[in-house]
Amino acid sequence: MIKRIGITLLTLCAVIACSNGSDSLFDEVDSKLSGITFENIITENDNLNILDYLYFYNGGGVSLGDIDNDGLPDIFFTGNQVKNKLYLNKGNLQFEDITEKAGVAGNSDWNTGTVMGDINGDGLLDIYVCAVVGVNGFDGHNELFINQGHGTFSEMSEQFGLDYDNYSSNAALLDYDLDGDLDLYLLNHAIHNETSFGKATIRNNRTYESGDKLLRNDGDSFTDVSIEAGIYGGANGYGLGIAISDFNLDGFPDIYVGNDFHEDDYYYLNNGNGTFSESLKTYFGHTSRFSMGNDVADINHDGYPDIISLDMLPEDEKVLKSSSGDDNIAMLDLRIKRLGYHYQYSRNMLQINNAGQSFTETALLSGIAATDWSWSALFSDFDQDGEQDLFVANGIPKRPNDLDYINFTSNDQVRNKLNNTKLVDQQALDLMPKGYVHNTIFKGGKDLKFKDMSGKWMSDETNVSNGAAFGDLDNDGDLDIVTNNLNAAPTIYQNKINGNNNYLKIKLLYRTKNTFAIGAKVNLYVDNTLQTKELYTVRGFQSSSEPLLHFGLKKNNKIDSIRITWPNQKVQIVKNIDANQTLKINYDENEVNSHRTNLMYSTPLFTKVKDNFGIDFKHEENSFIDFDLQKLIPYKVTDRGPAVSVGDLNQDSKDDIYFGGSSRAKPQIFYQTDSTFVKKDSSLFNSEIIYEDIRASITDFDKDGKQDLFVVTGGGQFKGKTNALSDRLYGPKDNDWEKKEFPSNFSNSSALAVGDYNNDSYPDIFIGSGSTSIDFGSVNPSYIFKNNKGNFEIQKVPDLEKVGIVTDAIFTDFNSDGLLDLIIVGEWMAPKFLKNENGNFKDITDDLLQQKLNGLWQSIAPFDIDGDGDLD
Amino acid sequence: MMQSFMNFKNFLIFGLTILFLGSCQKEAKPISVDPDAYYKVMDKMTEIMIHDIFSPPVASRIFAYPNIAAYEIISHSNSKYNSLVGKIPGLEKIPGLDSTKNIHPQLAAIIAHLEVSKQLIFSEDRLIMLRDSMYSNWSVTNEKQFEDSKTYGLDVAQHIVQWMSNDNYNQTRTMPKFTVNTDDAYRWQPTPPAYMDGIEPHWNKIRPFAIDSAAQFKPVPPPPFSMEDGSDFYKELKEVYDISNQITENGDQSEEVEIAKFWDCNPYVSVTRGHLMFATKKITPGAHWMGITKIASKKAGYDFDDTIYAHTKTSIAIADAFISCWDEKYRSNLIRPETLINQHIDENWKPILQTPPFPEYTSGHSVVSGAAAIALTSIFGEGFSFDDDTEVPFGLPKRSFTSFNNAADEAAISRMYGGIHYRSAVEIGVAQGRNLGKFVVNKLKMENKSATASL
Repeated sequence: MIKRIGITLLTLCAVIACSNGSDSLFDEVDSKLSGITFENIITENDNLNILDYLYFYNGGGVSLGDIDNDGLPDIFFTGNQVKNKLYLNKGNLQFEDITEKAGVAGNSDWNTGTVMGDINGDGLLDIYVCAVVGVNGFDGHNELFINQGHGTFSEMSEQFGLDYDNYSSNAALLDYDLDGDLDLYLLNHAIHNETSFGKATIRNNRTYESGDKLLRNDGDSFTDVSIEAGIYGGANGYGLGIAISDFNLDGFPDIYVGNDFHEDDYYYLNNGNGTFSESLKTYFGHTSRFSMGNDVADINHDGYPDIISLDMLPEDEKVLKSSSGDDNIAMLDLRIKRLGYHYQYSRNMLQINNAGQSFTETALLSGIAATDWSWSALFSDFDQDGEQDLFVANGIPKRPNDLDYINFTSNDQVRNKLNNTKLVDQQALDLMPKGYVHNTIFKGGKDLKFKDMSGKWMSDETNVSNGAAFGDLDNDGDLDIVTNNLNAAPTIYQNKINGNNNYLKIKLLYRTKNTFAIGAKVNLYVDNTLQTKELYTVRGFQSSSEPLLHFGLKKNNKIDSIRITWPNQKVQIVKNIDANQTLKINYDENEVNSHRTNLMYSTPLFTKVKDNFGIDFKHEENSFIDFDLQKLIPYKVTDRGPAVSVGDLNQDSKDDIYFGGSSRAKPQIFYQTDSTFVKKDSSLFNSEIIYEDIRASITDFDKDGKQDLFVVTGGGQFKGKTNALSDRLYGPKDNDWEKKEFPSNFSNSSALAVGDYNNDSYPDIFIGSGSTSIDFGSVNPSYIFKNNKGNFEIQKVPDLEKVGIVTDAIFTDFNSDGLLDLIIVGEWMAPKFLKNENGNFKDITDDLLQQKLNGLWQSIAPFDIDGDGDLD
Repeated sequence: MMQSFMNFKNFLIFGLTILFLGSCQKEAKPISVDPDAYYKVMDKMTEIMIHDIFSPPVASRIFAYPNIAAYEIISHSNSKYNSLVGKIPGLEKIPGLDSTKNIHPQLAAIIAHLEVSKQLIFSEDRLIMLRDSMYSNWSVTNEKQFEDSKTYGLDVAQHIVQWMSNDNYNQTRTMPKFTVNTDDAYRWQPTPPAYMDGIEPHWNKIRPFAIDSAAQFKPVPPPPFSMEDGSDFYKELKEVYDISNQITENGDQSEEVEIAKFWDCNPYVSVTRGHLMFATKKITPGAHWMGITKIASKKAGYDFDDTIYAHTKTSIAIADAFISCWDEKYRSNLIRPETLINQHIDENWKPILQTPPFPEYTSGHSVVSGAAAIALTSIFGEGFSFDDDTEVPFGLPKRSFTSFNNAADEAAISRMYGGIHYRSAVEIGVAQGRNLGKFVVNKLKMENKSATASL
């Protein structure tokens, strides 16, 4: 009996294992088989722990590359306190520890990032290892191990001027001046425990220890050119993430730096003359707050590189609620307005590149916003289906931002330690909750959507993985992943897609000084979809991946052509390429097109006018924090507007523009002249500043041949029957404007529609009401105002009494009976259809809509979707 | 935790039963209640308030109500003391002492104190543990007297809690958060390192005890805000900066640093190290002055009733001082020196004490110390010297004072040494407190002078 149960159980297990197996993409290679026994063990003591060094848990890095040119990528791990390790790839995922012979164990007390690259241009990969030096008693310096061939290296950082003894996180290789050799961006982090934010301008004062450095390769040594190149190096630069890419496709490599804490990330656009312009605020709406590692890839097939920047937002609700995260809105305000920082929120950010003009952030939409305490991000097409997938290495031994810990750490324990200058004893550290989480892998899909495949594609065992890199360790064409784990053996994720989808691996051999063609770019089309890869090896966090370009080709066996843009921006087309091979291409001056052409990936319909035609209006929203009064509402309602309307306000047949202001800001009118717009002050409008203008319409309401102006007022911050909430009608008078009679309406108005519903040729007005001010969710009546030859009166419409929290409305004849009907959309409601029955409006939504279409509708526009002549 | 607590409780009951059986043979003795029983409760309450992190204004309320409950019972049995009924708004006469019952007034007073206290804190279980052990001791000594006193004490507690519930405290919990205005240069901004919201912006809506209204002792406004060199305001700002630098130069052992630290009384000092944050917790200004009241009461050899009187009077003065001070804080809404110095003078400057999370003017500790010192002087007299060891459990040394006013002056100036207040907030603050204190003392007239004289 027992035996039978046992068998049944076994069968069950087998079935489960099998079903797991079918989804699984990565196997973890046992360290007994791989021979990789390295463990990045960190040992905390009274003088060195998370309190003494804020990045005590940041872990080590990993770099992949073929150091002996046998075709198999080898692995280098940095150890924070333990010695670094170099493993030679013997094939079949078996590795040999050659650290001793190679002489790369390192001499620094605290190692961090590592990058492999051919720094002296001899065709052999060298290894650069970063260190934190000069704090916590850490000694040493960044080390440069120059490959001597035959598996031996010489530490030559001093000769090359790269023996920095500061607080380095990592370094990246790039040829920023396109002079053919590889320069180095040294990413450093601040350690200062100063708790004051300080102004953003701190970044202008360079500090040696924590400031990033741009180091120009001058042949036999590197020169710090940070100042002339415009690189920040302040005491507030907590640099943890670095990505190099030609973001605007101008041929020159740009730099994205992810900074932890309150310092903004840096977006350095390469000016092409040896200098950079940091332009984060111009190009990004917001960034991650506690920026960690990042990665760059074109995920939407437009040829422009997109960026992911990791943060530490937990996905688990319990952890989320017990962790301190974003600042409250008042602090955010202070940081932005007073101290000069940009908008930052604590979660992963996926920044989609809009043709180099700006970035649109989609992490929430894409489903990758929260991956807990995340270090490395790696984009690659792991399942070779033509879409970029995303791997995230996660975890922290202890969560120092746990709120329970913050509030309830025993007073005595902390104080005793403070008194002894040693901060907290082991007992206090033990109170901190653990943050071991599983690494996360997302399958990339169409439309910027990612699907979490953790636990399916790979094991969801929890650990702490810091550095991560990809490469084809077993030379089977797909990409494997290596992570450097804290206090545990590294994880080797072996990719088992094995021929289920096709691939193309490209290895480029460029000219001396940059033999691996760092900065080269390859475009190819698969199924009419563009794929683009750029060869920069530093990705993820403190790590560098194998210098190769890998493409997933789905089931395609052939590619008609690929387009290589070499680092010198010369272009080479290679035709008729078979799938499933490693394509090796040597740079040949005869094969390349000397004239640099840029692919026009998409032709924009609109282009921005340079000087804005003189319209220098900038909307300034008045500061009002709804959440101070209504703590639990999901979003602000007082920042609606600004109103804008276009029409001929001065009867010169040219369209003018009215911009409404927020409360306490003047409305502004720009009049069109021959070539530009000119702002003209109006004594009337200059005094109309209390109103928050939500919508406006330029219409000739009284049919006198001159356009009038109607402005809908709301904003949600004024309450009751206050003048500040009344809607306003203006007519032209003596070169200026005069206010005209309009029935009182003290709602928090939010929508406006103008249309002649009774066919008397005088345009009538619908005004939709938002939520009652400071009473989120309550519904006020919306109104139709009948235009009696220029005089308005409220038309009674019972169905508008409780129509909803309106955001937009249109008059349109949806039943083609010659009378304008009304469609209203709003928040927490379905669109409402009001039929015009000879001047009386009746809600016939239930007759028209079969489903409940409740939603947070914001706007409505009619158009003929099926081309049948009526509007849908 | 819960399990072991239950076990402990069971064990206790079991143990008590044995004790009780034993004591049955003996004649029931009257229960004696001495000031130490009261201090036991006060010490426990202080510990719980530190643990639960009550802000200084809220802590002052927690001290006042239980004391008033105890005092009202005492005033019924001891003709030396007058009831507060009629002097404090809304307080009605407590239930009378039933002479047919074996009620021990001091015992009932401490039970009422415990019960009201329990309603004011979060960690009730900690207080209940103390209460249960006290209850069992009393019950063993004289069950009848204990039960009668307990019934009466709980009745009075109920009466006081009912009155307390109408002081607008609950309503202020749901009032709008304080809105930080980043547009006006003079307005208060959250300060490093935790950048906490302004606490208790509606404290002036709490019903005061003795004063007529929160604004009764409204101080003159602070010097007009100006960053012009030579303006009164700027001079005061610069003075904070200069004094701080001078003190820092003199080193941690200097008298000024010792004074600043001694009177810090910040219940929640945030410490941030990178992503790591924790807090060190300490007593509030109110708790410090309660400590001084205890020192003085002991030194003066006060009995239980006198002790309750001293603590009640002082805690009322302190509670009203907070209401008065907070009324001004959110009226003048003045920016802290740390914010301005960081913005205009020295980006890296940090005050010796951590700036607490509310507007600057007037200094809370100054107002409270001024009021408390007047109350204490009215009880113990001028020139009452004492050694203040209140902060010893928090690793700070003893300090000696020649009088309560001497201590109050030092507490006030400590805020300047600490770099968290301008001179005006300190000097005008301590005067505001003294005026308020005098008013409270005169209004309450707690001592029955004729009764005292006839003794």
